[in-house]
Amino acid sequence: MTDTTPLLEVKNLEGWYGESKALHGINFDVHKGELVTLLGRNGAGKTSSLRAIMGMLPRKAGTIRFDGHDISNTPPERAARAGLAYCPEERGIFSSLTVAENFDLPPVVAPEGMSRKEILELFPNLERRWTSQGTKLSGGEQQMLAIGRILRTGARTLLLDEPTEGLAPVIIKQIGSVISALKKRGYTILLVEQNFRFAAKLADRFCIVEHGRVVDVIDRANLDAEKSKIQAHLGV
Amino acid sequence: MPEIFGIPLTLLFGQLLVGLINGSFYAMMSLGVAIIFGMLRIGNFVHGAQYMLGAFGAWYLMNLPELLPGWGLPSIGYWGALIIVPIGVGLVGALMERLFIRRVYNLDHAYGLLLTVGLAMFIEGMFNVTYGAAGQRYDVPDALQGGVNLGFMFLPIYRAWVIVLALTVCFGTWYLIERTKLGSYLRAATENPDLVRAFGVNVPRMLMLTYAFGVGLAGMAGVMAAPIYQVGPQMGQSIIITIFAVVVIGGMGSISGAIISGLMMGLAEGLTKVFYPQASTTVVFVIMVIVLVLRPAGLFGRETTAHSTADVSSGRAGSILENGKLWFGILLAIGLVLPFTLFPIFAMKILIFALFAMAYNLIFGYVGLLAFGHAAFYGTSSYVAAHSASVLGWPPELCVLAGVSAATAIGALFGWLAIRRQGLYFAMITLALAQIIYFYALQASWTHGEDGIQSVPRGMLFGFIDLSDSMTMYFVTLTVFMGAFALIYRIIHSPFGQVLKSIRENEDRSISLGYSTNRFKLIAFTLSAMLAGLAGSMKALVFQIASLMDVFFMTSADALLMTLIGGVGTLLGPIVGAAVIVTLQTKLATFGAWVVVIQGAIFVLSVLFLRKGIVGTVEEYLANRKARRENNAVLPDKAMEPGE
Ligand SMILES: Nc1ncnc2c1ncn2[C@@H]1O[C@H](COP(=O)(O)OP(=O)(O)OP(=O)(O)O)[C@@H](O)[C@H]1O
Ligand SMILES: [Mg+2]
Repeated sequence: MTDTTPLLEVKNLEGWYGESKALHGINFDVHKGELVTLLGRNGAGKTSSLRAIMGMLPRKAGTIRFDGHDISNTPPERAARAGLAYCPEERGIFSSLTVAENFDLPPVVAPEGMSRKEILELFPNLERRWTSQGTKLSGGEQQMLAIGRILRTGARTLLLDEPTEGLAPVIIKQIGSVISALKKRGYTILLVEQNFRFAAKLADRFCIVEHGRVVDVIDRANLDAEKSKIQAHLGV
Repeated sequence: MPEIFGIPLTLLFGQLLVGLINGSFYAMMSLGVAIIFGMLRIGNFVHGAQYMLGAFGAWYLMNLPELLPGWGLPSIGYWGALIIVPIGVGLVGALMERLFIRRVYNLDHAYGLLLTVGLAMFIEGMFNVTYGAAGQRYDVPDALQGGVNLGFMFLPIYRAWVIVLALTVCFGTWYLIERTKLGSYLRAATENPDLVRAFGVNVPRMLMLTYAFGVGLAGMAGVMAAPIYQVGPQMGQSIIITIFAVVVIGGMGSISGAIISGLMMGLAEGLTKVFYPQASTTVVFVIMVIVLVLRPAGLFGRETTAHSTADVSSGRAGSILENGKLWFGILLAIGLVLPFTLFPIFAMKILIFALFAMAYNLIFGYVGLLAFGHAAFYGTSSYVAAHSASVLGWPPELCVLAGVSAATAIGALFGWLAIRRQGLYFAMITLALAQIIYFYALQASWTHGEDGIQSVPRGMLFGFIDLSDSMTMYFVTLTVFMGAFALIYRIIHSPFGQVLKSIRENEDRSISLGYSTNRFKLIAFTLSAMLAGLAGSMKALVFQIASLMDVFFMTSADALLMTLIGGVGTLLGPIVGAAVIVTLQTKLATFGAWVVVIQGAIFVLSVLFLRKGIVGTVEEYLANRKARRENNAVLPDKAMEPGE
């Protein structure tokens, strides 16, 4: 029974920014240990979906369930404490904090977090820049810091918003291997991507977002058959 | 006796010590203001009142047995007060945050300032009602009595203690914020509160505690000040504007900037007292001006990204309430019968304040700049007109012209200095600039200090209209008022006014369309100053007096309150607001000191519940009715708000 209940369940999610509606009914599930990706063009509503799950959207409707609890109305700090870790699209590295302070900022919410040593093994570049100002890091290093710091917290469900955006191919590759390592460690991951080739290597399921709706969900097994359809959606 | 530049060294060191003491208080106070501004984006105008609460708290604790006889309470001295009072004042701060301040976080900065101005008026007014303006004595604690002779000067021990304690507290706070884990939460939340929340930190609670902490610092400064200055209701008011200037000099939100400039400004005041005593009250504001010209972000501030002006306007284009021609007729008709139903002097007061508020609305409502120093233009013009009439014997038309010219010139200068900053910065800068005028008027000989210029002759307008007759004066005032009404209407409906509107709605877009928005804002600001000046010189003629009240910051607050109550950015709002406030002030005059309390309460209530003002609320009702009639509109789907 418990195996079939999704860990994260999003139903008829609608969302607004002031008067303008950004989400028109998002539906998808993520099971424990799965890596699901939200694919879609610019402005489709991927970031807004993550923000809604985190309780960061000013106004929304619909249901979000996580780990057996309804979190549709919880404020962001409670969503985080429930075990959701968020890595924003703009990375959110604080310029008034050093790399070390940025790394230590997110509070620990559950006991089984990774140690600093383990994380620095995944992202060896960070250690050399430990005392620099956070925003003095390169884009790739900032992305590593943004992912690294949430692994410390013990949260087992990660919401990653376009971790490859604007990065060089070697860094993308490094981040790809980190994500698959995390998946092997049993993390549940909701990955937002526009880079289909990147997501294709990692995801168990692909949710296509268009105009604030999930218009298609494709399993990894059917990926080859549906590839052209996905590419048509993404306009690549 | 040793001298330097002909100044006895003992005098120099004595003044430097006084400067250092004042500087210690400036540092502690501006530190609190800077922390609160940095984290909450609130210009905490009530900080002065909270400092006063601290001093009174110490005095209460000392006098517990007399204040509450029969309770058997002990008298708690200085040392106990130093612990208890900051915590108590901090708790009061937490309560204020919870009840009031929290409600304006998501609104424009203007409302945070207005709310705290109202709270300050309320609290200080209450103490004024209870204790009068006189100060209460609070003795230096026994352990810190006396002093040491340093050879070149005598150093009272208590003063040395204050400096050491203030520096320790400031450094400790700096360390806490810049070097600890807790501080990293604060710094991060200053940059991106949403993300810090999404990491699991209860940011709303942190904001409350930060506010309480900043306020607690003010309370502690109050305890420390009690044995040095007199414990009186005015002690906060006289320091808060200087504190704002110090924060601007240091760079808003910069912790170390606030501490260092606080100390420096205290020393600067001390030195000025030695070398040029007349300027000692204004030197901080003059330094602020120089810093703004050379380093707009302040000495230690980082250049913040330009944040656009505020659209707080509740006017609706095309509404019947904005129909200038119609309302010109209606107002004229009302104006013609008014002196037959009210005392002409009262009717004139309404017209003059309405004119003043309309002038203010031009910059706040139509451009979205929160000016907070319009008393400077109003008062300058009032003084100049009064002086021209009573000393130079000029005819009234020339007096008004002279007053308006002076106000326009000062307006252009202040505007040029302030216009590059927005939001709260703009408010603080205009406030500080206006304070220079205030202190000038207090000290110059031709303004006659506390007395003001009295018995101003009204004279013969154009040589043949005798203004000493109240009715004649009334109709002249009405003419000026109607002329200004028509002029303002023309301005906001001209192409120039359209550009102002687009700046208010979206400044970045206006810039990208190629408008030099700063030039437009400067012109609007100068026009607004000019019209405020017109109100000021008319006031000098009508009431035959120019006084310090005209240049006092409360007069700026009045203009703001009238505009807010009536409806910001509406055609009629300032007029309605002026009528309401003038009527209230007149009716309440018999309550004496309570007026300020009630006005403060009105400020707070209108910020919380009547942000659209009277006219704006009517406008909203009309708009809703129209919408209901025209289409059975499909209302947006029921939505839930994220829980608290
Ligand atoms: N803060 C905001 N205020 C107003 N509208 C917004 C805001 N953020 C997003 N939107 C709008 O909501 C819609 C969805 O935006 P969202 O950022 O979720 O898209 P996205 O799929 O993440 O796009 P991208 O791939 O470019 O990041 C867009 O139309 C966008 O313009
Ligand atoms: Mg996005």
